[in-house]
Formats: sequence, C-alpha cells, structure tokens
Amino acid sequence: MSATLIEVAEVGRTYAMGGLFSRHRVRAVDSVSFAMETARPEIFTIIGESGSGKTTLARMILNMVAPTEGAIRFRGTDLSTIRGAEARLKFMRAVQPIFQNPFEAFNPLKRVDRYLFMTARRVAGLPEGEVEGAADTALRNVGLSLAEIRGRFPHELSGGQLQRVAIARALIPSPALIVADEPVSMIDASLRISVVNLLRRLRDEMGMSIIYITHDLATAYYISDRIIIMRKGQVVESGDARTVLDRPQHPYSIALKAAVLSPDGTNEKTEVTSHA
Amino acid sequence: MTAPALSVTGLRAYYRTSHFGVEREVKAVDDIDFQVGVNEIYGIAGESSCGKSTLIKTIAAAIRPPLKVLAGSVVFNFGGRAVDVYRAGEREIDGIRWRHLSYIMQGSMNVLNPVRRVRNSFVDFAFRHIGRSTAEFTRVVVDHLKRLHLEPEVLDAYPHQLSGGMRQRVAIALATVCRPEFIIADEPTTALDVIVQKGVLAMIRDVQREIGSSLIFVTHDLAVHANLCHRLGIMYAGRLVEEGPTSEVFRQPLHPYTQHLVSSLPRIGDAEPKKGLEGAPPSLADPPSGCRFHPRCPVAMDVCRGNVPPMVTVAPGRRVACFVAAPESRP
Ligand SMILES: Nc1ncnc2c1ncn2[C@@H]1O[C@H](COP(=O)(O)OP(=O)(O)OP(=O)(O)O)[C@@H](O)[C@H]1O
Ligand SMILES: Nc1ncnc2c1ncn2[C@@H]1O[C@H](COP(=O)(O)OP(=O)(O)OP(=O)(O)O)[C@@H](O)[C@H]1O
Ligand code: SF4
Ligand SMILES: [Mg+2]
Ligand SMILES: [Mg+2]
Repeated sequence: MSATLIEVAEVGRTYAMGGLFSRHRVRAVDSVSFAMETARPEIFTIIGESGSGKTTLARMILNMVAPTEGAIRFRGTDLSTIRGAEARLKFMRAVQPIFQNPFEAFNPLKRVDRYLFMTARRVAGLPEGEVEGAADTALRNVGLSLAEIRGRFPHELSGGQLQRVAIARALIPSPALIVADEPVSMIDASLRISVVNLLRRLRDEMGMSIIYITHDLATAYYISDRIIIMRKGQVVESGDARTVLDRPQHPYSIALKAAVLSPDGTNEKTEVTSHA
Repeated sequence: MTAPALSVTGLRAYYRTSHFGVEREVKAVDDIDFQVGVNEIYGIAGESSCGKSTLIKTIAAAIRPPLKVLAGSVVFNFGGRAVDVYRAGEREIDGIRWRHLSYIMQGSMNVLNPVRRVRNSFVDFAFRHIGRSTAEFTRVVVDHLKRLHLEPEVLDAYPHQLSGGMRQRVAIALATVCRPEFIIADEPTTALDVIVQKGVLAMIRDVQREIGSSLIFVTHDLAVHANLCHRLGIMYAGRLVEEGPTSEVFRQPLHPYTQHLVSSLPRIGDAEPKKGLEGAPPSLADPPSGCRFHPRCPVAMDVCRGNVPPMVTVAPGRRVACFVAAPESRP
C-alpha cells in the first residue's frame, strides 16, 4: 500500500472548441501537480478565476474526464488503468464528488431521496435495513432530515437545501477523499459555518481528505491546510493556506484578495428617483 | 414623487403538495408588503429556504403548481402603464418579458438550450428586441459580454462547454442585453470569483444607471448587498421582518435576526468562524406560532409565542416586525 493518497502529476487537459469558421483549442488545465498523503488527512483548497480549470481538474481526479497530458494516481493506481465494474465501484467508494451547481447535478425527474438510497445501497453496499438510517444520519449532518426531503423532486427544494443534499450523499460511503466543487456557494453564512465545520470534523475525526474548490476566501482561510490559486489552467501560487492568503505574492492572488467585497460597502450607488 | 415601479401587497403564496397521500402546505411567502422605486436596487436577504426564490418567482409571474398565490397583488408600473400580474392575461405577461421585465433564475440554466450554441439563445431572446442588422446585433452582444469578462468565443460554445461561472454570466448577459426596465435576479453571482463578481456587479449598476431601471437582487451574501443595493429587505421563514436603507440596516439592525446576520459576517483573517445561529431553520410546512423567529430569538417574550408581530414603520424608511424593536406594536 502506497503512502500517497492521490498524486496529480503534470496533468493537462485540452478541449477543441468553436464554430465552423473559428475552431480553437482551450487549454483548460495546464500542467498541474500536487500530492496528498494518506497519513496526513488535509483540506486542500483550490481557488481561482471563473473558467480557470478547477472543475475540469476535479473531474479528472474523479476519473470522469481523462487528462490529455500527465497522469493521476490514487493509492498508486493510475486512474486510466481502472477498468471493469468492480474496480470502478471500489474507486467510487473511496473518492466521492460533490458537484458544482446542484440544480444541474440532480436529474429533475428523479426524487432526491433516491440518490441517497442508491448511494447507500450500491456504493456503500449497506444492507436494505440500514439504507434509510444512513441517509437520515448524513442529512442530519447538514441540517436536514429524511422526513423533510422524502419523496421530493429537486425543484421542490431551495438552492441551499439541494446543495446540502449533495453534500450528505457524498458522506454516506465514508470515502477517503471528497472532491467538493463549490459545495457552499448557495448556502448562507450561518449554515456555511456549520458545513465547513463538518468538513473539518470529517478530516479530524474520520481522517478524510478533502479537495475544496471555492470562491469564498473567508472559509478557505478558516478551514484549509494547503491552497493553490489557479488562473487560465495554471497554478499561479501554492502553499500553506494562511501564509498564501495573508501575504499573496502573485499579482493575480493579490488582486483576488483585494477584490473581496467588504460588508462595509464602498459602492457608488445612484440616486433613487422614486421611493416607496 | 413618481409611482413606485413595483408594489407588492399582502402577498401570500404556498406550495400545496401531496406525497403518498400526505398533504403538505409549505407557507413560503406569507403576507409580504413592499415597494420598489424607479431607479432603485432592492436587495432581499435571508437564510437558505426562507422563501426568497419563491417570493421572486411569484413577483416575476413565474409560478407553477404546486405553488399557488392565495392572496395579495403584484403590480408593476412600466412608464405609467400598470400591469397587475395576477389580473393580466398571459398575453400581456408574455409581452412584457425580456423587454420590460427580465428574470434571472437561481441556478440560471433554464434559459440556455443545451443542444444549441449560445449564439442561438441570444438570437432567440434578444434579436427582435434589439432590432438591428445581424452584424450590429453581434457587436452589441459581444460588447455586452466583454463587460462580463467573457470572450466572444463563448457564442460558439454549447452550454456544457462553458464553466459554471461562464454559464451564469451568459444568463446574466441574456437578461440584461435588452436593457429591461425591471430586472429580477436570484443569486446571480454565486458561481463567480470575486474579481469577476465585481465586474458583473459594476455592469449591473451601469445598466441600471444608464436606463434608470429597477432591480430586485436576491442573495444570501450580505457583502454583495452592502455594495449594490439601495435598500434591503430581510426575510425570515416566509415573512419580511425588516426593511431599510442598506447602510442603516448594517449600521443599526433592528430585528434580532438581522442583528445576528450582521454580526456573523465572515471576514478573511477570521481564524475562528463567527458563531452560527442556534437551532435549525424552521420548517415552513409547520412554522412556529406567533413570531416565527421566537424559538431561536435571544430576547423572545411570552407575547412573541402567540402573536404575529406586524411590520410597522419605526423611523422614516425603516420597517420592522418585532415586539422588542417596535414595542408599540404589542397587542
Ligand atoms: N466539455 C468541454 N468542452 C470544451 N471546453 C470545455 C469543456 N469543459 C470545460 N471547458 C473549458 O475549460 C475551461 C475551464 O472550465 P472549468 O469548468 O474547469 O472552469 P472552472 O475553474 O471550474 O470555472 P468556474 O469557477 O466558473 O466554475 C473553460 O474555458 C471552459 O470553457
Ligand atoms: N415546488 C415546491 N414544492 C414544495 N415545496 C417547495 C417547492 N419549491 C420550494 N419549496 C420549499 O419552499 C421553501 C422556500 O424555498 P425557496 O426556494 O423559496 O427558498 P430560498 O430562500 O430561495 O432558499 P435558498 O437560499 O436555499 O435558495 C423551502 O422549504 C422549499 O423546500
Ligand atoms: S417578536 Fe419576539 S421573538 Fe420575534 S424577533 Fe422580536 S423579540 Fe424575538
Ligand atoms: Mg467550476
Ligand atoms: Mg433560492
């Protein structure tokens, strides 16, 4: 057994895009490397520009998209060599996704509790008698309950509720690694704190590692061990999260930190012509 | 003083569902009154599942069963022409969409056709409203995209070829390119990094200023409200509980729930997070009696358990629904 949980080695992904007359190539991810150790569970945060390749990188780590360059190894196994239902299931049990934008991640015609039950049965391999209990426990971790969501379709839940269902689903198989793509974007500050505390607990008490993709620098500062900052497919800065966020060095990281809106509001609002 | 651009009066909208024979009534919007001025940006804040999106859908005339409007009215005023959303015919409502009223839904995917290139969505929705030659139309659209930090190439892409934040910006571009008089936006910047978000907010402000349009902007992110909105309405469990000029609400929140929201604002550099609110958000299928905040309110009194605090004006432009903040409203 290897001591490395996941190793991302010089990974790149290029897409061909465009219309009939203007074909061009997008370098979505451009030679990204990092590794996470089994013995040291951590929250590894990815921050970056919209369109900088964060989701593409996450999908490659989840073995949903193949890299066009480089390789990703999970516990020493190159993801491109994983074949067959058995091996895939084993990988899914160990590496769980939380997808960006829950409105797109859920099939609108499928009741959301089915997702939880399916994961409990098929991925976690729980006996029928434990399926509902596991779903309820996972939901309670994110401030919901099975009673609350039972039988409901995705559009019958609010954005933040749906996002929390997505988090709960990923917890059911107790994976070794969670790849969370903006898991708290639709959740208010108060609930966000309980969700990021949950991520911390998963790391500290269950030894899970988490790849946390976010635009929220405040929670990134609070929970991350290490951080990388991406722009146009490349990592422009990386290191210990607090060091990087306290004293960013790359011009993009500096600009990013400076652009965080202050709740004290320094805006140039216009005059209102009519008032209610 | 001109007439407000929007008047919402006594609005009540519930979801009525039945699963496996169990009837459920989710009281997502309950007795809400407010107005939005011409040339005004009105923000709506509140925790997850408090009813923000439901309120907005109801205002945007985008309700579908099981959501039902039980009471109240929603009246827009487009340059002197009043449109009463729940009295007007479907024809009239269709006639105001995009050109006069545009609505950016949470999740924003609904407007983009997954099997057509982005360019086609622009042609479908905006071409006839902008009414120029094809070349000029493309120029208008490309300029508009640029303000949202998007390259012209996105027009050739299919929605799935764009990142989450790029799709969100395309939806914003679609909703604003015709420069409608009234824009309703539900969490439109959740998928954006802070630099791009700043650009998007600036664009929204510019469009609003250039044509004096009115905006309702829903987000749980109070920092966005602080930087964009003239006035702010705070929702809790299906009701509006406080309203006032944004800076005043931040400086001196009146409702205990708003006080909690403002004091829990996260800032980078917080090594420890601010405390979350004790207790869970109430279920709107079975909301607490009296003041819906009472089980979580640090200053709740007996009167709060059995009586619903009315929304009352306590100072010019400031309203609140709380028996402590407005003692004169006690029964
Ligand atoms: N299937 C695809 N085909 C073509 N191009 C793609 C595809 N998926 C992603 N891209 C492109 O790759 C780039 C990176 O996209 P990605 O979704 O990884 O960004 P992101 O960092 O997650 O952005 P966001 O913060 O907005 O979610 C974008 O330019 C996008 O258009
Ligand atoms: N179609 C529906 N049928 C039944 N209940 C619904 C439906 N849509 C929403 N709800 C419920 O109505 C309540 C309010 O939801 P709404 O989407 O308005 O919340 P929100 O304030 O926008 O939350 P968020 O910030 O999480 O998006 C929630 O309890 C939700 O589960
Ligand atoms: S009315 Fe009572 S319970 Fe409600 S917010 Fe005011 S003090 Fe708290
Ligand atoms: Mg993404
Ligand atoms: Mg919502």
